[in-house]
Amino acid sequence: MKRRLAAGLAVALSAALALSACSASSDSSAEPKTIKVAYQTTATFNQMQNLMAAAKSQYEKAHPGVTIELVPIQGESADYYTKLALMNQSAATAPDVQYEDTFKIQSDAAAGYLLPLDDKLAGWADYSQFAAGAKSAGLGADGKTYGVSLGTDTRALWYNKDLFAKAGITVPWEPKTWADVLKAASTIKAKLPDVIPFNVYSGKAAGEAASLQGFQMLLYGTKDTLYDTSSKKWVTGSQGFKDSLKFVQDVYQGGLGPTPQQALDPNIFTNVTAEWLPKSQLAIALDGSWQSAAWIPTGTNPWPEWSTVLSQAPMPTQLGDAPGVNSMSGGWTLAVGAKTKAPNLAFDFLTTALNQENSKSYDIGNSQIAVRNDVATDPEYTAANPSFGFFSSLVANTHFRAATEDYAQISNAITVAMEAVMTGQQSVDDAAAAYDQAVVGIVGQDGTQSAN
Amino acid sequence: MRTIPLLPATVLLAVFLLGPILSSFYGSFTDSSLSGSAAAGSKFIGFDNYSALFADPDFPTAVILTLLFVIGSAVIGQNVLGLGLALLMRSSGRLVRSVVGTFVVAAWVLPEIVAAFASYAFYRDTGTANSFLALFGIAGPSWLYVFPMLVVILANTWRGTAFSMLVYSAALADVPDEIQEAAEMDGANGWKRLRLVTLPMIRQSIATNAMITTLQTLSVFTLIFVMTGGGPGVQSTTLPLLAYQEAFKFGQLGFGTAIATIMLLVGAIFSIFYIRALRTDLE
Amino acid sequence: MKALSSITLAIIGICFAVPLLWLVLASVDAQPSLSVKIPEVFTLDNFGQVLTPSLTFVPLMNSVILSGGCAVLTVVLAILAAYPLSRYRMRITKPFLYGVLFGTCLPITAMMVPVYSLFVQLNLIDSLPGTIFFMAATSLPMAIWMMKNFMDSVPVSLEEAAWVDGASSMKTLARIVVPLMRPGIAVVFIFVFIQAWGNFFVPFVLLLSPDKQPAAVSIFNFFGANGAVAYGQLAAYSIVYSLPVLALYVLISRGLGGSSALAGAVKG
Repeated sequence: MKRRLAAGLAVALSAALALSACSASSDSSAEPKTIKVAYQTTATFNQMQNLMAAAKSQYEKAHPGVTIELVPIQGESADYYTKLALMNQSAATAPDVQYEDTFKIQSDAAAGYLLPLDDKLAGWADYSQFAAGAKSAGLGADGKTYGVSLGTDTRALWYNKDLFAKAGITVPWEPKTWADVLKAASTIKAKLPDVIPFNVYSGKAAGEAASLQGFQMLLYGTKDTLYDTSSKKWVTGSQGFKDSLKFVQDVYQGGLGPTPQQALDPNIFTNVTAEWLPKSQLAIALDGSWQSAAWIPTGTNPWPEWSTVLSQAPMPTQLGDAPGVNSMSGGWTLAVGAKTKAPNLAFDFLTTALNQENSKSYDIGNSQIAVRNDVATDPEYTAANPSFGFFSSLVANTHFRAATEDYAQISNAITVAMEAVMTGQQSVDDAAAAYDQAVVGIVGQDGTQSAN
Repeated sequence: MRTIPLLPATVLLAVFLLGPILSSFYGSFTDSSLSGSAAAGSKFIGFDNYSALFADPDFPTAVILTLLFVIGSAVIGQNVLGLGLALLMRSSGRLVRSVVGTFVVAAWVLPEIVAAFASYAFYRDTGTANSFLALFGIAGPSWLYVFPMLVVILANTWRGTAFSMLVYSAALADVPDEIQEAAEMDGANGWKRLRLVTLPMIRQSIATNAMITTLQTLSVFTLIFVMTGGGPGVQSTTLPLLAYQEAFKFGQLGFGTAIATIMLLVGAIFSIFYIRALRTDLE
Repeated sequence: MKALSSITLAIIGICFAVPLLWLVLASVDAQPSLSVKIPEVFTLDNFGQVLTPSLTFVPLMNSVILSGGCAVLTVVLAILAAYPLSRYRMRITKPFLYGVLFGTCLPITAMMVPVYSLFVQLNLIDSLPGTIFFMAATSLPMAIWMMKNFMDSVPVSLEEAAWVDGASSMKTLARIVVPLMRPGIAVVFIFVFIQAWGNFFVPFVLLLSPDKQPAAVSIFNFFGANGAVAYGQLAAYSIVYSLPVLALYVLISRGLGGSSALAGAVKG
């Protein structure tokens, strides 16, 4: 049955490719008039639902006879990916347009789930409004564009001004090196023993947050990197990797962070967002730009004072080397399914969903960093949330994940190394060596290169 | 002719279970994947998944933790506590009996996700267990971190004991009173009566119940996933959690189904053990 | 002796009750924490927020359809299958029961990918009946096993009399055996129903439309996309979600006059 499925898949795939090849003239008259749009929704995440409902009614009004069928998928991220991948495996259920995480694009493009959009984007004037970084986040491993960005996010240090004042640290706080960050945390530990000085997500339980918000925020601020994009190889044995682990070790073994128990709770995110920050139990948090989405009046944990109590500072590079600050970005895109029978209609709908108005209301509602210039400079957007200006300014020095097919497993190996040093089970050198070994196990000796 | 009534069930099982099982089994010999280039066309890779699995240091840990979980929460926890409750109920007041019975059964009737969440709240470092210990001036540990296996075993015992309790209550009700009384006349004390008279009488119920609870416990996923996520590290990653991580978090379906096949084997070994104990039952 | 065992029993009972108590108290607390505590500010807001058609009523209705359908189908097929297994000496009885036994420990989650492709080929994706069929198939092994044990305890002598009168085996099954084993049927029904009610992954994978998803899927909503969990709402939803099965259990066990019916399931 599996083989028959694979055969059916190949047929459907080549049919879709043939279709897209001959219809590049953007003539959608011969296509079906119904398209399916798949996206994620949860009780605390209805912004995508709102965007799609609005785009549907706009598009159907402007194009009589066309039906946009919405297929919301209720579930948290891991379940959403699973369901989406399953739907994409069969031509009968594959969506025409889908909500796609930037870090899944390379992998899903390689799987043959996504349609390259380069020809179509060339004919869309608005695409010039998109920031260069956001465009590159939509690229597959083959250099073609598979997703168009909805918005992005950046990461930085959130800190509690009241606690800083009590501990006698000057506000605004402007750390220039990692040592400055640790020094501030030490001061808070000494002056305010009841407060958790500094949270860096770490360990397997925090998963991708530990890898991205925690480890890669550090590593990309050293002289080394995780993945060499030119040679397409994963880097092993780098000093930067060890220094980043050392930082995690200093935070946790030095008592500057939450206890390992607290950090390894699968529900740490809720604790940070809903308890520690609002209740002033945590002084500094290395966290994402979206945090305030929970605290605005429509959020899950409204906290009107958040913008007066909390402030933000960029995460410095290790020794303050240029450019001085580091950030990591993720974000989601809209993509067209490779098995669509109506590629032009699907793309046309995508341009409606991502036009200036729709992008703006989505970015405001979901506390996203705008990727369209005409949204980023829109007064309504900049006035909507006092932290938008700060987080948008980080986009200039941000990095995107090395989202290859193997990323999910590599990322897991990073969290394993973090957990080993934070709990004191392994030394930094041992944990780094174990990571190197794990990477070789995942991508093979050929997929790696030594930092030296 | 006589087998006709078997047909509908057989057809349903063959179409919806046997097909996918065979397909899964075949999948465990491929590099089949949810995403990435292998998803575009998987290929046969022989025993590679199995050899990778046996080389993975997490695998033996997962097997041991699974056995620990099954023996701790199903065999010892649910069966012993279930039997204990059933015995206590026979000699307790009526009101206590019905109130306690209601609570025990309520924990069983609750959907698994709800039970998991209630257990998580109970054992968290700021949860009820530690609030209670604090009343006596004891600073409780971070249960979920320090004793992850103990906590999920206790939680699964809490959730599943009702079934065993109901089964044993019913079985004990069928033990004729005369036999009990005769033993009492012979001067056998409570423990001796239980061991020499009551338990042998309900031996069949014990074996069957142990088998049912074992097989159900073997595939418990949600409870552990919500409470500890398999952590810290891999300290509560049983086979179902390992299979989920490989198949869905990493998208490696072939590898994930190889783990599932091993789970079937473990289940089969337990079953054979109990069938031996049951002996005559299937004849 | 009686007092001692009553006290022991009461202590164990408290251990079982406390985690449940937390659910109840947190659901009416404006600022719930993870520990059992009397709410400082009593509120019904949490219930107000979850009691909406799309969050609660539609999913609960779907749960009733899925779990009810699955339980009815499973019970009917299990009775039919149990009859020859219990009454006749056949060569296939033993292999069939062994096969069924192994079926009870299948890790269903790990098989969902081939099941999905099967459903695509049969054009059953997003079909409630299709999902019911699959859920029934997964609960059948345990149901057949239990049902056969119940049936074994119904004496054959009554049927033999009917056979002499010329009644077919199906007729005696319907007229004589089924009425006698009503308690056993009820036990299997509630057992299957409870399992189906809590099943998240199967309906999540096999159903596409959100208006067909059961409550087990909806509850995962409360675990949030960015991880922020609203404890009060989650507790309130948990209660709303659990009440129907609790009610069904009470109803059935009242009808049976206690739990003794379970005895037959395992006596063998």
